[in-house]
Amino acid sequence: MDELLLSKVRLGIVAELLASEWASFSALAQAAQTTAGNLGAHLAKLVDAGYIEEEKTFVDRRPQSRYRLTPRGRKSFIAHAREMQQLLLKTEVRS
Amino acid sequence: MNAPEARDNLEMVERIVAASTRDLSLCNVGAFFVIWGLFGGSVDLLFDLIRHGVLPATALWAEAPFLVIAIVASVFYGRRLDRSKDRFTFLHREFLNVLWVTLGVAIVATVGAWRVFPGFASGAIWTVASSIVLFFIAVHGNRSALIGGLVLIASLVAANFMRGVEGYVLAAGFFIGYAGFGLTEILSRD
Repeated sequence: MDELLLSKVRLGIVAELLASEWASFSALAQAAQTTAGNLGAHLAKLVDAGYIEEEKTFVDRRPQSRYRLTPRGRKSFIAHAREMQQLLLKTEVRS
Repeated sequence: MNAPEARDNLEMVERIVAASTRDLSLCNVGAFFVIWGLFGGSVDLLFDLIRHGVLPATALWAEAPFLVIAIVASVFYGRRLDRSKDRFTFLHREFLNVLWVTLGVAIVATVGAWRVFPGFASGAIWTVASSIVLFFIAVHGNRSALIGGLVLIASLVAANFMRGVEGYVLAAGFFIGYAGFGLTEILSRD
């Protein structure tokens, strides 16, 4: 399994970005229901791994950070979700 | 990771993705629908007023600045949908594609084929195109859009049976169905 996506917050961030072209920091903070500092740390890890991209822009003269899922991030998420499904299947077969 | 954790994580992902693909909030572009609804309705209204001799034919020129305002507003709100929100979903992109394609085809049909669609046929095409846009929004769970689309279609059918006042009926459809929908979106803003 993908170690980066074992964190529920990071998995939630990737899931939020799956159906979006981009989402702002505040949108992700609202969705993840975590502190800004904690979210920032998780986002930095995903950016460093190349799973998401960060873009700084201005909206109504105020700075806004936007995040997009990269093809690498999408591929990793699919592989991770598949492995979780296989784990569930194996458990069901055993029981 | 064990099986219960995997199930928990998969359920969370499913919940988040399902919520994202349902979210077609257009509250910050409601004015777009109000402006185009007022413009579309006023064109139909003006045509009938001119036909009935209430206004001179030159009154149609009054629509020119209104059309410019509507086009400028379209560009402005298109950019606003892309820029000022907290997120831009693939559903928003799909909506913009449907909107531009539908309006584009309607423009080509009514401006480029005016001989094929004379009189109120062009007004009817705009009603059909606008209802397609509203029904697209409606299938993503927006009841106001469904009502707006039904009002537009109802005005089209009513216009067919109310000879001599087609313009007034189509105009009412635009004012209530299209502009009305925009107004409800503006009012639904947090």
